[in-house]
Amino acid sequence: MKPFKLKIVTPEKIFFDGEAEQITIRTTEGDIGILANHIKYVCNIVAGPLKIKDSSSEREAVLSEGILKVSDEGATVLASAVEWADEIDLERAERAKKKAEDILSDKSRADEFGRAEIKLKRALARLSVGQRQV
Amino acid sequence: MATANIKDVKRRIKSVENTMQITKAMELVATSKLRSAKERAVASQPYFNTLYETMCEIQSDRGFKSIYTKKEFLKTVLVVVLAGDRGLAGGFNHNVLKLAEEKIKSLEKDGRTVKVFPIGKKAVEYFEKRRYEIYSKEYQISENLTMSRAISLSEKVISGFRNGIYDKVELVYTTFVSTLVQNAMSVTVLPIESNDLKDKETEDTKANSTNKDKMKKSALTLYEPSAEEVFDGLIPKYISGLLFCSIVDSYASEQAARRTAMESASDNASEMIDSLSLLYNRARQAQITQELNEIVAGQMGNN
Repeated sequence: MKPFKLKIVTPEKIFFDGEAEQITIRTTEGDIGILANHIKYVCNIVAGPLKIKDSSSEREAVLSEGILKVSDEGATVLASAVEWADEIDLERAERAKKKAEDILSDKSRADEFGRAEIKLKRALARLSVGQRQV
Repeated sequence: MATANIKDVKRRIKSVENTMQITKAMELVATSKLRSAKERAVASQPYFNTLYETMCEIQSDRGFKSIYTKKEFLKTVLVVVLAGDRGLAGGFNHNVLKLAEEKIKSLEKDGRTVKVFPIGKKAVEYFEKRRYEIYSKEYQISENLTMSRAISLSEKVISGFRNGIYDKVELVYTTFVSTLVQNAMSVTVLPIESNDLKDKETEDTKANSTNKDKMKKSALTLYEPSAEEVFDGLIPKYISGLLFCSIVDSYASEQAARRTAMESASDNASEMIDSLSLLYNRARQAQITQELNEIVAGQMGNN
């Protein structure tokens, strides 16, 4: 398959800058796959798995919410956090999940629900990708 | 008399030397922290730039309204103030807090209610003491604020805006110009002024003519589910990016200000040591001369 340029950028660093043949990414509309020569495309991504496939291997990572932008130059993924599947701190994710669930079950903290929900989604994405790895 | 003086001077030299050791150490610490802060600031640039570009592209594609761009009668303003956790950084904390207070005073004069959201221990202390209405004290520590903390910070700011607790957000922080110059400044975070985006964009296109073609081409871009929704989804990221950048910026400024302050403190200390050593040597010499005099006088008396 024809490779295309892929760049994954977080506020802390450029996480990935290279070539890929196919990426699969979770958007607000569901999972989508991007191949070379895709039309120009912009969408929001939600916390979830990201698969990067090149000629020899397939790697999996986990993304926090961000945007995906495809242009003539290639694909750019902007996310607030990215980790390779084998780098996920499962214990931390478990703690974050528990904390978010506590907030969501406490009706007196309704104003924090929105934030807790996002955190819960992040934690769940990390757990599901990370546990598959183990 | 002379002996007492010598002792005094010696003690002072010792104490200045001790102070100098501390300021010297602080200078070195600030220098290394400044380096890593600068690296972080540079590393956050590509993310923020791409985000900003995408926002400009959507904005230039179609004119539309979003809840983040609405402009109603502005009644309550949230002022986010970024300062340091510790003092001994020259005028760093003072400058930014002064500017914030001026800003608040002028907003209050216009009949607006102001809530303060201080970040950093010094800012919290300052505004608490002066009895301003404080929105949240959750972020006392501004040092080493990570991206995930910046995100929850911006989520807090945005949720208040969406729930109508305030309808404008101002940010007061210190921007890093160079190691010697740091400027306190204020920017409007929310609502997003669409003019802002367009102005910057025309500047960009002027600077770079190929950009113009890019802008035209972007009209063909497919947005899913819709440009509006992508835009609304982008705003929280834009704001957390903006906050993160200013936090990093402010942190770099703090370290630079501390470094400069400590450098001049060390210089002053060594100058002081020089003049005190001169004083000490003079006193010592005077003592020797006097002792000699006494011996000679005693000899003469014997003869």
